[in-house]
Amino acid sequence: MNQWRNFKEGLWNSEINVSDFIKRNYTPYFGDSDFLQGTTERTTSVRKKVEELLIEENNKGGVLNIDTDHVSSILSHKPGYVDKEKDIIVGLQTDEPLKRAVNPFAGYRNAVQACQAYGYEIGENINNEFKYRTTHNTGVFRVYTETMRKARHAGVLTGLPDAYARGRIIGDYRRIALYGMDYLVKERALDKKRISERDMDASTIQLIEDIEKQLEFMKQLVEMAKEYGCDITRPADNAHEAIQWLYFGYLGAVKEQNGAANSIGRISSFIDIYIQRDIEEGALDELHAQELIDDLVIKMRLVRHLRTPEYNSLFAGDPVWVTCSLAGMCDDGTTLVTKTCYRFLQTLYNLGPSAEPNITVLWSQNLPEPFKKFCAKVSIDTDSIQYENDDVMRKDFGDDYSIACCVSAMKTGKQMQFFGARCNLAKVLLMALNGGKDEIYGEQIAPEGKIFEEEVLDYEQVLEAFKYYAAWMAKLYVNTMNVIHYMHDRYAYERLMMSLHDVEPERLMAFGISGLSVLTDSLSAIKYAKVKAIKDERGIIVDFETEGDFPKYGNDDDRVDSIAKWITEFFYAELCKTKAYRGAKHTLSILTITSNVVYGSKTGATPDGRKKGEPFAPGANPMHGRDKEGALSSLNSVAKICYDCCQDGISNTFSITPDTLGDSDETRVQNLVDVLDGYFVQDAHHLNVNVLNRQKLIDAMNDPTLYPSLTIRVSGYAVNFNKLTKDKQLEVISRTFHEKM
Amino acid sequence: MNGFIHSFESLAAVDGAGIRCAVFMAGCPLRCAYCHNPDTWDITKAPIQMTPYDFVKKVSRYKPYYKKDGGVTFSGGEPLLQAEFIKECVSHLKEAGIGYVIDTSGYIPLDDTVKYVLKGADAVLLDLKFWDDESYLKYTGKSMENTLKTLDFLESINKPTVIRTVVIPEINDTREMIEKYLTHVRDKKCVRKYELLAFHTMGFFKYRELGIENRFADKAALDKSTKEELQHFVDSLL
Repeated sequence: MNQWRNFKEGLWNSEINVSDFIKRNYTPYFGDSDFLQGTTERTTSVRKKVEELLIEENNKGGVLNIDTDHVSSILSHKPGYVDKEKDIIVGLQTDEPLKRAVNPFAGYRNAVQACQAYGYEIGENINNEFKYRTTHNTGVFRVYTETMRKARHAGVLTGLPDAYARGRIIGDYRRIALYGMDYLVKERALDKKRISERDMDASTIQLIEDIEKQLEFMKQLVEMAKEYGCDITRPADNAHEAIQWLYFGYLGAVKEQNGAANSIGRISSFIDIYIQRDIEEGALDELHAQELIDDLVIKMRLVRHLRTPEYNSLFAGDPVWVTCSLAGMCDDGTTLVTKTCYRFLQTLYNLGPSAEPNITVLWSQNLPEPFKKFCAKVSIDTDSIQYENDDVMRKDFGDDYSIACCVSAMKTGKQMQFFGARCNLAKVLLMALNGGKDEIYGEQIAPEGKIFEEEVLDYEQVLEAFKYYAAWMAKLYVNTMNVIHYMHDRYAYERLMMSLHDVEPERLMAFGISGLSVLTDSLSAIKYAKVKAIKDERGIIVDFETEGDFPKYGNDDDRVDSIAKWITEFFYAELCKTKAYRGAKHTLSILTITSNVVYGSKTGATPDGRKKGEPFAPGANPMHGRDKEGALSSLNSVAKICYDCCQDGISNTFSITPDTLGDSDETRVQNLVDVLDGYFVQDAHHLNVNVLNRQKLIDAMNDPTLYPSLTIRVSGYAVNFNKLTKDKQLEVISRTFHEKM
Repeated sequence: MNGFIHSFESLAAVDGAGIRCAVFMAGCPLRCAYCHNPDTWDITKAPIQMTPYDFVKKVSRYKPYYKKDGGVTFSGGEPLLQAEFIKECVSHLKEAGIGYVIDTSGYIPLDDTVKYVLKGADAVLLDLKFWDDESYLKYTGKSMENTLKTLDFLESINKPTVIRTVVIPEINDTREMIEKYLTHVRDKKCVRKYELLAFHTMGFFKYRELGIENRFADKAALDKSTKEELQHFVDSLL
């Protein structure tokens, strides 16, 4: 096949195996960033146009326009362009940039409210259609038990994807470029034939119907590409086409689905093979190779979903999590760093800092030193990238995994995830002290037990009660998740994304913990200090009096860090006791995104001294201001939480002032590399890095025009600081900034 | 023997090369008017006491970050006031492959223990607090003599040394004043760098909390540009 000219053959020729293709054909790069190029005139002009659109969008309250007459789908809208003459990588979700489409499959009411919030009404035809259509949301609430509803209402189980699409699934978009859709359709049809031989039990019937849905949407994707003048039935012939083909796959996916996180996967070194071949054939130079990546990234930055303002305030800004994973190592010990990994990082200079795509560097001790330094430099300059430990993830996920959302690894095209939001374990402790009652509403949620007396709490007794209620909650949590994902598969199945997976992928069910540091410090306070419970007139414990000091998580102190470690291991083991839907494997994350503020607001006072309603620390971070011995102690504490029981990620966000990191650009870069190496060599999982001064954020809060594109990492992703609500801005400002005196 | 310690700062990237864990030892014989850590002066009020064994165990936890240049920085207070403790610590640090830097005023007399500790350091950060004996007496309460002797000793063993001076508005924030300092270090080959630090007011609250008189209470922080200008001046002369 001419499109495969000069590619080394291997397994990938006889089966769908992108990873094998990459390994046989990519060119690892060990050099520095000197080869990188700036923007072409074309890119500069498109960038300008995009920036104007973004300002206009912002001026209109965050939503530029909504098409209320067509339900979003692959073929719902005519082709759209930023600039028809100048776009190199083409394709938008609707016929105009930043115009949002309505996608009510996960929840109709949410779609209606989202339109109304921005002054629009859903069109008559959509309204009529959804009168007779069951959405995911409707399905879930048909089955939810009273207890599930109560736990949800109280905010113990929270952020559940029961009214919005679950997201987190990553199609292997590279397959389209490498194989072309004809081949993929043919293979999937054969899968169907093979599976249809089985006995028709419920799971087989479900799978066959899934495949039929996939085939239908694969054909639609071909049509969509044709409307843009591209024939994706065949493999891509060059770098331009490879990028365009895989972007079409991604575009189709975000037209079909409005899941919480729509990540693009691990594409850089795949693309690099095509760029390298073009350059060798004399068809492309570096300037224009960069231009291709720049234009792809511009498109990634324009992806939008229609959300309610409440959703945006929960997640801060308007995130899509177009997570783009770079670098990492091959199983054989060579690096997967290519020049195109650099090119993606370079977009942060060429196009300016940005929250999207969520650039994620898969860090290994063995990455080439010049690449490590370039990443550190980009972090210091832009605060726009995050790091995840490839040496740890590779053991469980092999060397061709991608990150979805913030910290969720999955084997590209071979695993999918049922996203499970999180359980507020700090609240579970309060529930345990109150015999199963919610401390805010006073409602009996869990089985009735004894309420602790108004006296000094006994650690052993508290621990026993906590274990009982946490175990009970784990079971409820898994069962709730099973209901949600059964219904999502049924009413809002990701047809296109799943067509770009193996036909029977491994499934992961990703649970989460919020309030880890609050719970840890609370248990430490009860164990090492004297904590007396205080009841209100309802007889419910609502406050605590603490006498004496106690070790706090974040100071590299084993007495308390071991509690954090134990909590994750205990809760994970409890989750595994209840079977997950569709044979999924349980995983667990310590990640709160920015909803640590909301979780805190729904949680009463805790024994660690946190007042009612005060924000939690994000993810696995120690509580603000309690990490007293500086950055490394704080990092060392988090590094103790074991990835084996938290395979959906352990998020840590780290802010340091430039002056603390070093006294020159060169030392800052080297010191940041040393921090990252030192953290990750201890098997830590994730680090968001911000290098900035608190004062800069305060200035930006008071006058947003000072730093219009100020981007900061929050928890597994980045946000434009100016898009945060005031309470979130204040919370981010109050976080620990490691700084020297 | 216990060390008396004020606090730890696990990431101190500017007190010596590489990633450093700074330990602020308690106790100081000087009473510098610009001191931003008056809470370290009184050794009897040290919040932390630990054995050399525990100390080494603690700072070894940061070994993954130290790489080839980083390590421990003994600061204070005046670390060499507890030279015996440091001596015992550094022999263990050496076994663990961790280097160290001493951040000192140079005031402590050079007995064998102090010499041993200085000899083993990767580098020494030596404060040249004021320009002559008179100004030393006025603003630190002690003579300059020992500091100069320490510098001579560092020169005799060719120990990589960084001289540090705090630049204070209206006291030494001119080229003429800085030149007076330079007379002490010009002929010293051991001096690798002369670093100026800007006077700041971030430690003022400690004086209020401790009820100690703050002699510079009415001073403002030195602006960054003055410091940078003077630093260029120093760099051009050394």
